[in-house]
Amino acid sequence: MMLQSVNSLQTEWTVEKLQEFERDIADVFNAGKIRAPVHLSGGNEQQLIDIFKNVGKNDWVFTTWRSHYHCLLKGVPPHELKYDIVSGKSITLNYPKYRILSSAIVGGILPIALGVAWSIKRHCIKEHVWVFVGDMTARTGIFNECGRYALGHDLPVTIVVEDNGLSVCTPTLDVWDEKENETIYVEDYEYYEYDLKSHWPHAGAGKRVQF
Amino acid sequence: MNYFDQLSKAMETVAQHPRAVFMGQAVEYPGTAMFNTLKNVPKEKKLELPVAEDMQMGMAIGMSLNGELPICIYPRINFLLLAINQLVLHLDKLPLYSDWKPKVIIRTAIATDKPMNPGHQHLGDYTLGLRYMLSTVRIRKLINPGDIVRTYQQAMEDDSSYLIVENMAYYGMT
Repeated sequence: MMLQSVNSLQTEWTVEKLQEFERDIADVFNAGKIRAPVHLSGGNEQQLIDIFKNVGKNDWVFTTWRSHYHCLLKGVPPHELKYDIVSGKSITLNYPKYRILSSAIVGGILPIALGVAWSIKRHCIKEHVWVFVGDMTARTGIFNECGRYALGHDLPVTIVVEDNGLSVCTPTLDVWDEKENETIYVEDYEYYEYDLKSHWPHAGAGKRVQF
Repeated sequence: MNYFDQLSKAMETVAQHPRAVFMGQAVEYPGTAMFNTLKNVPKEKKLELPVAEDMQMGMAIGMSLNGELPICIYPRINFLLLAINQLVLHLDKLPLYSDWKPKVIIRTAIATDKPMNPGHQHLGDYTLGLRYMLSTVRIRKLINPGDIVRTYQQAMEDDSSYLIVENMAYYGMT
């Protein structure tokens, strides 16, 4: 589970440009032009820009229902991404061409990523698998199983835990009765904390939209 | 050849695929009746896994996306129920909500109560329930010994994923 030193795919992306993309999506959503759930990203721009400096063009990215930034940083053209979001695909953005797979089911991507990593290792291919999950997912059984298998078999996969402290609106630490990250071994994974709540709600863009 | 021998022949046929991977519990190590149908599958094409049914199905999906042909084995259909998330919400639905086209062959079995009765948790046929839940994964029940090899050949050649259900009560049937 080593980080690769590869190259940046989208060095032109800045914190401001990423935020600008999401504000544009928020405006379209609030105008009632997206008839599907939208999960906006915010507060983790710099962390993701730094991580994606290590993500190679042929690497695989597995992500969740909140994946606009991951898609942009992996190389999906903004106009293509916006088209798909407006078409109602915000929570399941998938691009085989860019090797991006997302799922709107908690933990759903983890074993799929594991299978890709197993195959990469089997054929000695110089590619890497990146998996982005949240702090609640990091406490699930499937996370434990997949993390254990990846570590045990030294698979070419990096699991990134993106900790915003919430699962929808449920405080993760409260419901597990933890004071801090006592039950996940963050040294085994990439880990960062961020504050989504002060940027966007869990879903939507902060306005009640009537269709 | 009887039902059981035809299953062995079908496994040998699938094993000829250059990227076939037989994965699950009791594929490399003994412990189930199915193990004996895999004796002629080359060792390098077997992947013994921990007991983690949903992880196993997800791994099979990921392996297929990178070009492998996973034969994802659950010795009893009861155990497959623990992989419903990856089976129903990912393997079956990815082709509907994305351009990803995973292809997995799932092999499982309905247990029998003779000569030993394993009880309610290990008996039962859940195929009909799975038919209601699956849209893209094709389901085949193996009844006639003569259909077994042909069914697996079809599963190999088709673009779709397959769930192939055998019945342990027929193992001795010719």
